[in-house]
Amino acid sequence: MVNQYLALSIGLPGHGLHLAYDPLALLFLAILTPQIIATALGPDRKSVAYWLFVAGMVLAVLAAEAFTLLLGFELMSAASWLLVLRGDRKPGTLYAGVAMFSGACLLPALFLPPGGIAFTLILLGAGAKAGLAPLHAWLPRAHPAPSAGVSALMSGGMVKVALYILIRYGFIVLGGAAQPWWGTALIIAGSASVLIGSLRAMLEVELKTILACSTVEHVGLIAVGLGIALRAKALGDPSLAALALQGALLCAIAHGLFKPLLFLGAGAVKHATSTTSLDWLGGLIRGMPRLGGLMLAGCFGMAALPLGPGFAPEFLLLHAVINAADTGEIISRIGFTALLAILGLSAALALGAAVRIIGIGFLGRPRSLRAAAAEEADKPVLLGMGLLALLCLPVALFPGLILLFLNPVINQLIPDAEQLPLGYAPAPLAFLLLLSAGAAYAVLKRFGTKAEREVHAFNGGFGKPPAWLPFGDPITQATGTGFAEPIKRALGVAILGPKTIDPGELYVLDPLRRLNVRFTRAAERVRRATIRQRLAFVFMALVLFLAALGFVQGT
Amino acid sequence: MLHALLAVIATLIHTALMFGLAPLLIGIVTKARARLLGRTGPPFLQPYRDLAKLLRKTALIPDTATQFYKIWPYITLSATAVTALLVPSFSFGLITAPLSDFITLIGLFAAARGATMLAGLETGFGFGGAGAARDALFSLFTEAALLVLVLTFVMLAHTPTVDGIGTQFRDGHIGLSVSLGFAFAAMLCVALTETGRIPVDNPAGHLELGMVHEAMLLEYSGRYLAMFYYAAALRLIIWMSLISAIFLPFGLANAANMLSWPGGLVLWGLKLIIGAFTLAAFEVATAKMRVFRVPEFLGVALLLGILSSVFLFVATKLGGS
Repeated sequence: MVNQYLALSIGLPGHGLHLAYDPLALLFLAILTPQIIATALGPDRKSVAYWLFVAGMVLAVLAAEAFTLLLGFELMSAASWLLVLRGDRKPGTLYAGVAMFSGACLLPALFLPPGGIAFTLILLGAGAKAGLAPLHAWLPRAHPAPSAGVSALMSGGMVKVALYILIRYGFIVLGGAAQPWWGTALIIAGSASVLIGSLRAMLEVELKTILACSTVEHVGLIAVGLGIALRAKALGDPSLAALALQGALLCAIAHGLFKPLLFLGAGAVKHATSTTSLDWLGGLIRGMPRLGGLMLAGCFGMAALPLGPGFAPEFLLLHAVINAADTGEIISRIGFTALLAILGLSAALALGAAVRIIGIGFLGRPRSLRAAAAEEADKPVLLGMGLLALLCLPVALFPGLILLFLNPVINQLIPDAEQLPLGYAPAPLAFLLLLSAGAAYAVLKRFGTKAEREVHAFNGGFGKPPAWLPFGDPITQATGTGFAEPIKRALGVAILGPKTIDPGELYVLDPLRRLNVRFTRAAERVRRATIRQRLAFVFMALVLFLAALGFVQGT
Repeated sequence: MLHALLAVIATLIHTALMFGLAPLLIGIVTKARARLLGRTGPPFLQPYRDLAKLLRKTALIPDTATQFYKIWPYITLSATAVTALLVPSFSFGLITAPLSDFITLIGLFAAARGATMLAGLETGFGFGGAGAARDALFSLFTEAALLVLVLTFVMLAHTPTVDGIGTQFRDGHIGLSVSLGFAFAAMLCVALTETGRIPVDNPAGHLELGMVHEAMLLEYSGRYLAMFYYAAALRLIIWMSLISAIFLPFGLANAANMLSWPGGLVLWGLKLIIGAFTLAAFEVATAKMRVFRVPEFLGVALLLGILSSVFLFVATKLGGS
């Protein structure tokens, strides 16, 4: 498997570091590189922890064996924890706890013999790090905490490293022992992430939290693709496996471009207005036209619209699900039909969330004086975002070409796969779109008048606002909360319960918190015990021990 | 070579008819509706006159609009126009047929909808925002229902393009099945929502509180409003052609066979006229729903879509064993 091998004498004593590259590692290195360059343009490059974080990610991807992989993974976790603490301290403990949980799951898994237990542990460890349901609730809290560049790298890069471990072990290292239920577990976890992530992205108000929830959705999409591929591979359907894998990997590439872009933009918004709450923004595009345009490009990808970078992966994944539903057992076919409905819901939710970011945050009237006075973002931030937006272009317009580059990776993961031609051709579509826009422009120019007049907005017939309200009454326009209200009433309550709390919080984090409180109370009771109670403890322990000893010897 | 040339000519005819007849179809529906209500109604050509009038009017740009105000109508119109080029009308086998993957169509509808929603949020006034929020809500269910329907079509026709599905349904012996019946009902619900007709939205309504599609366009005027109106007209003819190409494909022509064109043209026109009268009759007989009843209505569509797939699974299971 590993052709190129490089051993370094640093690292574990007597063992060293072993680096190697193969097509899969190169692909993920290629996913990481643009985001590292884009975020290193910002102020984060001055921090040591940032470079340790980057080094950890690169080391994990290039690792040739389990020790090095784990070392890189833990370095990445520890450095990102330091970076999270430097931002908002609150989710730091939660983040460290989840990182330790991942490490504790991965450590035995990497050295277990191939089999179901090893895969379950990998799924738990890598899934918790990637934000896969039900272990996703920490992600929307922790990812927005650090500075924008680190948030971007965590959402775009760290999550991909976790998925890389999942792919590396699920397809290659443990590949020989693969069972269909591995894929099924991944599909179920992925579809739950897609639904919860996209719904929360629609309902949240903080810009960075919206983006983090959307990351949960995209991780879910990638997991669904990987799950279908794993299941189809185990069931002996290599062409379906290749299709699903194409979708998953292309989704990882696209998400690695537009999500860091959006996070960097959110950081610039925070810098300019000192808030990222949609309910306090509005009309930003007047003060920050370049940032607004770049954010629009990123949201175009996030919404998975045709001619955007996010559409080709969505297209491939949907076709993979349709193909998977076309054959097999009736129960699994019904399951895939439900998955298709979930993907449809989440695609529309993603569009709604993207429209909400642009429409509430960047269009309309300012909702606060700071939003009204926002100035254009700094040059390095715009440069980094521009770089990522530029790299979105080939993914958006020539996905077929990108898929050609993916061929070695797919052949490595699924040896006897045959790639089908892509049924989605953005280049002719773009041509038709430009043609119709041009025709519309020509018709307007030839038959229409060019006259324009700036007037006070119609606003349902209300008059001009008074002079002391320069942008009108902010209350009279839809807020981020208000825009999400119909969806919250119709769908949010049905899925997330009347208080719209994430089930990951409700059923995973809250019981843990309660357990923590109970243990703390018990420990506190022991600590507060009087000397007599303590003596009684010791005496009781002695009696029990002697009784047990006597019982054992008596028999 | 000859086939390619014929396909190009058929595509040009298709383009001219789709773009030329779209306002007329709206005119027919409006006229039929007025007649059913006992009024004379505006002439059939009224939509053309409205568009021409709007083109000549000064566009009033709100002072709170941003730089993107003029871009949204272009995106909505061109995304809808591309869809119009992809959906077969009187003939299958147009040169755009390989592009007409159903999922691409769903994506293009979503793109047009997204631009319209942004147009509603553009000036930052209440009605536009409310309309956009409601449209976002409806789109959840329409998109999910459509995707499940695609599964049914792909299972029956073994091809994902609209052109291929229609050709298979015309030539293959699919016959009448329960699945297709469910799929037809679900598709009609989705089409009524996407085109903004009663019972989901009232195109003739003037009460801002009940508006959905119109509410997003309140701040637009002149030629920009004309673009949105024209896109809405295109959407109606697209959905009628789409439904007739999939569920009533009999008599549709082949682009490669020139002799079949006249029959295809006549039948397509007839189907459109029947569709327009049916729509008018349905609209007269139905009341508009409250906004929060619509998710239930569309939930039924989604359920019907899922049922149509499940019936197919059962049918293949019974047929296979």
